[in-house]
Amino acid sequence: MPTREEHDTHQRFTSRYREDRTETVLKIERAVIGADWGANGYTTVTQADRLGEVMHLGPGRRLLDLGAGRGWPGLYLAVSRGCRTVLSDVPVEGLAAALARGDAEGVADRVTAVRSSARALPFRTETFDAIVHTDVLC
Amino acid sequence: MLRASRQLLRPGGRTAFFTIHPTPGLEPNQRRRAHRDGPVAVAAAHPHRELLERAGFTDIDETDYTADFETVARAWIEQYDVHHAELVATLGTAELEQRQRERRTQLGAIEDGLLRRTLFSAVRPR
Repeated sequence: MPTREEHDTHQRFTSRYREDRTETVLKIERAVIGADWGANGYTTVTQADRLGEVMHLGPGRRLLDLGAGRGWPGLYLAVSRGCRTVLSDVPVEGLAAALARGDAEGVADRVTAVRSSARALPFRTETFDAIVHTDVLC
Repeated sequence: MLRASRQLLRPGGRTAFFTIHPTPGLEPNQRRRAHRDGPVAVAAAHPHRELLERAGFTDIDETDYTADFETVARAWIEQYDVHHAELVATLGTAELEQRQRERRTQLGAIEDGLLRRTLFSAVRPR
């Protein structure tokens, strides 16, 4: 059962992920973050690259992105580092956008999405080589 | 979430995450303001190094990214101001002004030294 706070956060992000990705929005994101993967927080491209280095990501490694939103940074890391990525979040709107972008980037075979809360993750133990999250409650 | 992460990682696996949290050592009223003015995801009061240790991680490293946090927070506000007219057309005036209010409040808390953003990384032991 989600808490009131989790429910409100879900509603807020679902609403955000339904907004149109207009050219203006993409331009703003490129100016602030350095790329247009659907980020609305504080993780820049340079910082996403640092995450990839810190986790030693590369081909054959399996990454879980918790609270992945539209796929930033997990989807980006699949593209830039060649790893396999599982994107996990509650709002399906963000995950759908991420999968569409993954398809466009040619990494659909290495990226999957799972709708789940970080409080009840449906994965077997010892499944991943790396786990990332950015500004998610913990 | 950190305990779950440890269980899901293979031995030798790594976790890395950014987290926004109140500056350590704040007075109670400052801490309340940090939680009130910060983003939804302002983290728990517990030091994350301690949480990672309790969850069974080793090789814990932390790097302060607060200067970048402030730069990016300011950039969102400036870019939304630059593109105000186009954004009003898609978001509406009320929603746009609400977002800018929240961002300015948050930037104020960063500038006043109440909020920090830190990169943590750690390893699941073999």
